Amino acid sequence: MCRSCGGGAPVDAHFCPQCTKILTLGRQGDYFSFLSVPRKLNLDQAELERKFRALSRQFHPDYFYNAPVAERMASLERSSYLNDAYRTLRDATARVGYLLELEGFAATPVNGAANGKVEVPASLLEEVFALNEELDEVRSLRTGGASREQLQAKLDRARLPIEQKRREHEDELKALSGQWDALVDRRAGDEQRRPVLAALRQRMLERNYINNLLAGIERELAN
Amino acid sequence: MSKVVGIDLGTTNSLVAYVRDGVPMVIRDAGGDALVPSIVSASAEGPIYVGREAQRRLLTDPVRTAYSIKRFMGKGAADVQDDAALLPFRVLASADDGVVRIGLGDKAFTPPEIGALVLRELKRRAEDHFREAGDVDAEVDRAVITVPAYFNDAQRTATRDAGRIAGLEVLRIINEPTAASLAYGLDQRRTGVIAVYDFGGGTFDISILRVEDGVFQVLSTNGDTHLGGDDIDRVFVQYVLDLLEQNDIVVQVGGTYEAGLVQAIRKAVIAAKHELSDGDQTEIVIPEFALGADGRIARAPGASYRLTLTRSAFEDEIRPIVERTLEPCRQALADAGLQPVDIDEVVLVGGSTRMPLVRGMVSELFQRTPHTELNPDEVVALGAAVQADILVTGNRDLLLLDVTPLSLGIETMGGVVSKIILRNSTIPATGSEMFTTAVDHQTAVDIHVLQGERELVADNRSLARFKLRGIPPLPAGLPRVQVRFQIDANGILSVTAAELRTNVEQTIEVKPSYGLTDEQVERMLVESFEHAEADYDARLLIEARNEAESVMLATEKSLRSPDFAEIAKHELSPGEPRAIEASLAALKAVLHGADRHAIHTATHALNEATRHLAEAIMNRSVHTALAGRSVQDI
Repeated sequence: MCRSCGGGAPVDAHFCPQCTKILTLGRQGDYFSFLSVPRKLNLDQAELERKFRALSRQFHPDYFYNAPVAERMASLERSSYLNDAYRTLRDATARVGYLLELEGFAATPVNGAANGKVEVPASLLEEVFALNEELDEVRSLRTGGASREQLQAKLDRARLPIEQKRREHEDELKALSGQWDALVDRRAGDEQRRPVLAALRQRMLERNYINNLLAGIERELAN
Repeated sequence: MSKVVGIDLGTTNSLVAYVRDGVPMVIRDAGGDALVPSIVSASAEGPIYVGREAQRRLLTDPVRTAYSIKRFMGKGAADVQDDAALLPFRVLASADDGVVRIGLGDKAFTPPEIGALVLRELKRRAEDHFREAGDVDAEVDRAVITVPAYFNDAQRTATRDAGRIAGLEVLRIINEPTAASLAYGLDQRRTGVIAVYDFGGGTFDISILRVEDGVFQVLSTNGDTHLGGDDIDRVFVQYVLDLLEQNDIVVQVGGTYEAGLVQAIRKAVIAAKHELSDGDQTEIVIPEFALGADGRIARAPGASYRLTLTRSAFEDEIRPIVERTLEPCRQALADAGLQPVDIDEVVLVGGSTRMPLVRGMVSELFQRTPHTELNPDEVVALGAAVQADILVTGNRDLLLLDVTPLSLGIETMGGVVSKIILRNSTIPATGSEMFTTAVDHQTAVDIHVLQGERELVADNRSLARFKLRGIPPLPAGLPRVQVRFQIDANGILSVTAAELRTNVEQTIEVKPSYGLTDEQVERMLVESFEHAEADYDARLLIEARNEAESVMLATEKSLRSPDFAEIAKHELSPGEPRAIEASLAALKAVLHGADRHAIHTATHALNEATRHLAEAIMNRSVHTALAGRSVQDI
């Protein structure tokens, strides 16, 4: 509903169809529809930029400095939402995460790695086992007074298989993203979408896990 | 209609600019000088001096004269200790509110109050300018003020507070490098990626922008809010002191330097630094000091101590400081996902970029010859004026999309920061976080907001502590309180919260970690209005004294003139010489008093008393000049 004239407005409208005033947020569309781009994972980056700039020129608080309070607030809210949307959609990983959230497949963030609650994904068992052995070895080498270069070399070797895994994951994510986009184009039904979303979610969880492993190696190096 | 200006509130100098008929221009004083030194001096007699007059007092009254106060904006006591040790004025930290205060004599000022004094001077300069230009409404009541891009929330808030205390509505706080890019008008027809390298008196910023369709979109920014010409000066002062000592000159007694020596050297090295931007060699002239027979360098009025320095020796000393600007540049490039070759244009901003060493290093890093067409001291104020004009006119040709320089987060278990809005996010931006309760029927939650990139709370900047109250009393873990963080277009944070189960808006009590509370700012605003009258009087008093001094000087010169005896004998009435002497003595007697009307009256009286004398001297000089020439030659 428009706070300036009280008229109704469609979800994806930015300005009131009756009085043309900027609309406050409330029932706005998701990031994709807000920027009027398709709900796909391979987005035309140049088009995204263009739309972002065009909408910025419509909403930015700079242009509402002399407007009534309601419009100023609406401009701030709408610009913020636009910026948040653009930031999310321009980044490939954030885009997948957002899509999953939107479709009800949110990949719960792996912030529990420290308290040991997160299970090792089955596909990574072998690598994680090998890595832990390497890390144990590094620690005992360190207590034995090994040089920084030696430790560095050992850790560099330890991260190779993990990075290999990460590259494989990136490829799988790309393939799945392509599948999702094709389903969107075909207007496929839920029964076809669900398995793809579930697979995407699994890859994202594993990806987070891998990143945590790599961060762990970095920390070991910094110690 | 009242006027809107753009203000560059710098560490060393400040400027004010405005847009007339679409063209931005800086406002200069009668002598054509655009820079107002960001220096404030609170004299023992009462009046407060700002700008050039305060700068002169750096040498005569250093303990009552504050400079480089921008470095203290939004800082806490612990942050400023290192700086404070090197400064001649006192830096006080209040135990009650943790606010830093600058002690000048028996007065104490918070950094925003010092900033406000400088802003008021700029406001006055602009108003004088508009009045002289014949504008009906010359009042300046709104401004866009610039800050270093890498300023955190507390520093931005402190700057905005300074504006409010000065009686200005701060339309927008904008980042200095972005302002500079606007002024350069690398403009709507051009498309490209710009790097703005801004090395000023106290801060360093690098911003990478993409310009397209008139939208100036900042991709990344980085910097160091404690790196600038000040640091170069400090190293340079130390270098000179060491040099003197190496030459077996005694510069300190009992562990402390000769009174005033450090300030005199500081003045000398700043001049030498400027000279070395053009020449290969310069002389460092330490004013009012000389080497005594005992090998001590000591105050010697009228004398000066000189030593020679080559540019290469200077550059060897300061190279490490300039090199510290390179890492932020590389980080900004990495954050923007760019390589140096992707940069189409490089713009230099800030006085420190006049140094050939800086220009060389920047050219090398970006493989580009940087833009230096605009005066690096003025370009930021010009950009601020452009932004001010956009805000009041709604002109949509240009749009600035800036970013928040530092990540925003909150404290979680174990003293770790959970980031909510990442650095280099385009502003305005929002982020939110869910909170719940730890014990049954808990109705309040404490939230600690931080800014910075590090993982641990202790390594980041504490912005504020919030107390979230009014949570419905429910079993532990049941309430779902959503706390929403909003960074506005100024880069300043605000926080709101709501309990989602009951939809009750929560009240939030803000306790800024280093800043002033709203009540404190309001109080200062009132106090500054009360002081405004006194300050205005002080200004008029200075003007009266200046006028009196020039009349006195002219009179004394006439009295000493070789022709005086002759004139007195033939052209003045018998009582006149004595009347002149008496008027002169009367003026001298009131000159250093606080009564400007008395000074005015005495000046006027002296003027009258010397009228005949002045006319006679004038006639004589004309006569002398014409002597020996025929009428035809005239």
